[in-house]
Amino acid sequence: MRRPLHFIALLAMLCSFFVAACGSDEEEPATGGSPSAEETPAKEAIKVGLVTDIGGLNDRSFNQLANEGLERAKSELGVETRVLISKANSDYVPNLSTLAQQQYDLVIGVGFLMAEAMNTVAPKFPKTNFAIIDVDATGLESKPTNTAGVLFKENEAGYLVGYMAGLYIKDEGGGTASSVGGQKIPPVDAYIAGYQAGVKAANPDAKVVNGYSQKFDDPAPCKELALDHIAQGAKVVFQVAGGCGLGALDAAKEKGVQGIGVDADQAYLGDQIMTSALKKVDVAVYDEIKAVQDGTFKGGANTIFDVKSGAVGIGETNEVGAKYADQIKAEQEKIASGELTDIPNTVK
Amino acid sequence: MSALPDDELPPNMTVASRAAVYLRSGGFVAPLITVLVAFLAGGLVVLATGHNPIETYQAIFKGTGFNWVFPWLSEDDRTIAALALQQTLITTTPLILTGLAVAFAFRCGLFNIGGQGQYIVGSILAVWVGSSFDGMPALLHIVVAILAGILSGAAWAGIAGLLKAVTGTNEVITTIMLNWIAIWVGVWLFGLGGPLQNDDPTRVDVPVSNDVLAGAKLPVFWGDAQLQGLHIGIFIALAALVVFWVLLNRTTLGYEVRAVGFSPDAAEASGINVRRNYILVMAICGAFAGLGGALDVMGWQFRIATNDIPANQLAFFGIAVALLGRNTAIGTLLGALLFAGLINGTSTRNLDPSVFEPQLATNLTYMIQGLVVLLISTDVLVVYLLRLRRRRRTQAVAA
Repeated sequence: MRRPLHFIALLAMLCSFFVAACGSDEEEPATGGSPSAEETPAKEAIKVGLVTDIGGLNDRSFNQLANEGLERAKSELGVETRVLISKANSDYVPNLSTLAQQQYDLVIGVGFLMAEAMNTVAPKFPKTNFAIIDVDATGLESKPTNTAGVLFKENEAGYLVGYMAGLYIKDEGGGTASSVGGQKIPPVDAYIAGYQAGVKAANPDAKVVNGYSQKFDDPAPCKELALDHIAQGAKVVFQVAGGCGLGALDAAKEKGVQGIGVDADQAYLGDQIMTSALKKVDVAVYDEIKAVQDGTFKGGANTIFDVKSGAVGIGETNEVGAKYADQIKAEQEKIASGELTDIPNTVK
Repeated sequence: MSALPDDELPPNMTVASRAAVYLRSGGFVAPLITVLVAFLAGGLVVLATGHNPIETYQAIFKGTGFNWVFPWLSEDDRTIAALALQQTLITTTPLILTGLAVAFAFRCGLFNIGGQGQYIVGSILAVWVGSSFDGMPALLHIVVAILAGILSGAAWAGIAGLLKAVTGTNEVITTIMLNWIAIWVGVWLFGLGGPLQNDDPTRVDVPVSNDVLAGAKLPVFWGDAQLQGLHIGIFIALAALVVFWVLLNRTTLGYEVRAVGFSPDAAEASGINVRRNYILVMAICGAFAGLGGALDVMGWQFRIATNDIPANQLAFFGIAVALLGRNTAIGTLLGALLFAGLINGTSTRNLDPSVFEPQLATNLTYMIQGLVVLLISTDVLVVYLLRLRRRRRTQAVAA
C-alpha cells in the first residue's frame, strides 16, 4: 500500500538531506584539510606495524611504551608506522596477518598473550619480519625463522624495587609487601618472583602477599585486590597488571601506603609512587626497527635486555624511596657486574 | 495501513509495543531514513573533529571489504578487500542470530535484552562439547556441538520466559539479570582452577578454555583456515533467517506469536495460550542467540578466554539490528550486514589511519548504533510518518 506521492515526498526529503551533507563538506578540505602525507621520503621508507595486546594503547605502561618506541623510530629513522589495537584475543591473528598482507617490513607483536597467534601467522608470511615482545622466539612451536623474540629480565627490575620495599618495611617496623599481578604469565611472574626475592633479601622478616586479577585492562579488580592486601597489613603495593594495575596504585593512594609502578615510570601518578620497575619496551622496539632498517635484523633468535644493558631498572623515586637510593644503586651494580645472579624467575 | 486510530499514540505504550507500531508503519523507508539521519549526525561529529566525513565514510566502506565486489580493483587491493570482507561476514553471522533473538521476541510483544547471556551460554556449551569427545566423527561432532549451543541458549532464555509466564516478571529485568549470571559463570568456569579451564600443561596459568578439536571446527570455504577465513556458519545463519520467516508466517505457532504480539488480551480471549507462547518464544530466541555463540567458537574463535566474555557486545548490536530490520527476516539480514560492516570498517585493522583515527572511529560505530536505537525508540520518525500518512489520507478523503 505504498502510494507513489508519499514515496516521492520522502525521497525528496532524503535527497535534501544528502545535498545538505555534500554542501557542508565542500568547504571542509579548505578549512580542516588532513595533510594527506603522500609519501615523499628521499629513500624508500620501511613500513613498521605494531599490534597491541588487549591492554590497549593507553595502558600507561607496556603497550604505550612500545608505541613510544615506534613514534621515536618514526621521527628519528623516518619509518612509516601503523598501530593496530586488539580488543579481544581473537583479534591477534587478523591484526598480525593484515599488516603482513599489506607488505609491512616489520610487524611487532606486543606481549606474551600473542605468542600463539604469532606462531600461526609468522610462518605464513616468510618475507615479512616479525618481532614479538616477551616471547622466546626459539620456543615457538612452528620455529619461524623470520621472527625475533624480545625478552627482558623483569626479575632484575622486580628485585630492585622489592629490595627498596623490604628496606622500607624494615624502617616501618615490619609488615607485608603486596604484589598485584594481571594474569599468571611468565613476564608477570618474573617481576613478582624478583620482587619477593628482593623483599626477603633486604628484610628477611617481611611477609609477602601476591594475587592475580585475571585482567590487564579494567582497573576495578586490581583495586579490590590491593585494598584486600592493604587490609591484611600491606605497606607496599607493587602492580604488575598494566592498565588494571592502575587501580592497585589508586588503592595505595587512598589508603596512604606506598605504591610501585611497572614497565613505565609511573611517578606522575602521585606521591604514593615509591618508585617504578622499569622495562624499557620503547628502547627494544626502537632497536628492532633500527635493525631492520640497517639490515641486521635476525629472525629465529632472541634479544635479551637486562639491568646491565640499561633497558631494565628502576624509575624516579618519591621522598620515601629516595632514602634508599644508595643501597639500591649498590644492588644494581651487583646485578650488572654479575655478582648477583640467582634471582628467581617464577613464583612458588 | 496503520493499525492505530487516527488520534495520538497511546500514552502508556511499552517499549515492545512501540516497536510493534514502528514495525507496522512506514515501509522500508523509515529504517532507511533512520540510518541516514544517524549517518548524517555521525558525519557532523566527524566534521567537528576536523575531518572530512565523505572521505571518512569512504574509508570505512573500504574497510568493510564490500568493495570486493567492484570489478575494477587491482589484484593487491582485492586480496586486502577479501580479507576485510571475510572478517565482516564472520561478524555478520552472529549479528544475524542475535538480531533474530531480539526480533522474534518483539513479534510476540516481548523485549529480549538477554541475547548476550544466551550467546555466552551457547558458546560455553559449544566450546565444551567441541573440545571434548575426541574421536567422534567430524560431522556428528559439529552437529552435537551446535545442538548443545542451541539447546543451552534456549534453556537459558526459557528461564526468563517461564518467569514471565508464571509470575509475570518483566522479561527486560530477568534477561538482563541472566546476562550477568552468564558472564560471571563463564568467567568462573574458564578462570584459573575453574572446572573448564584448559588442561594443557603449557597453559596452566592462562584462564582460557581448551581449544575446539579439529573435527568440531566448522570448515572454512573462503580464505585461509588458519588466518580466520570465512567459515560455513554464515550459511547456517542464513538458514536461520529462513526458519525465522517460515516459523513466523507459515506455522500455527507463528500466527499465535503475532496475535499475542498485537494484543495479549485479545489473543487470550480467542483461546490462545499466552503463557505457553511466552515460554516458547523466549526459548526460540535463546536458541537463535545460542546458535550464534556456538558458530563463533566453532568457526573462528575456537576457545573462550575469560577476558573476552564481558567484552563481547555483539548481542547489543543485535538489538539495533532487529529494530532497524523492523523484526523481519530480510531486514535483520540487512541490519546485520550494516552493523558488521561498521564494526569492521571502523576497526583499527581496516580503517586507513591517515583518513580518520580508528580510535575515534570505533566510537563512531557505537554512536551510530546508539542513534539508531534512540531514533527508533523515541518514535520520532514513527510519529512523523503517521502524521504524514494521516494528512495524505485526509487529503484523499477531501478529494
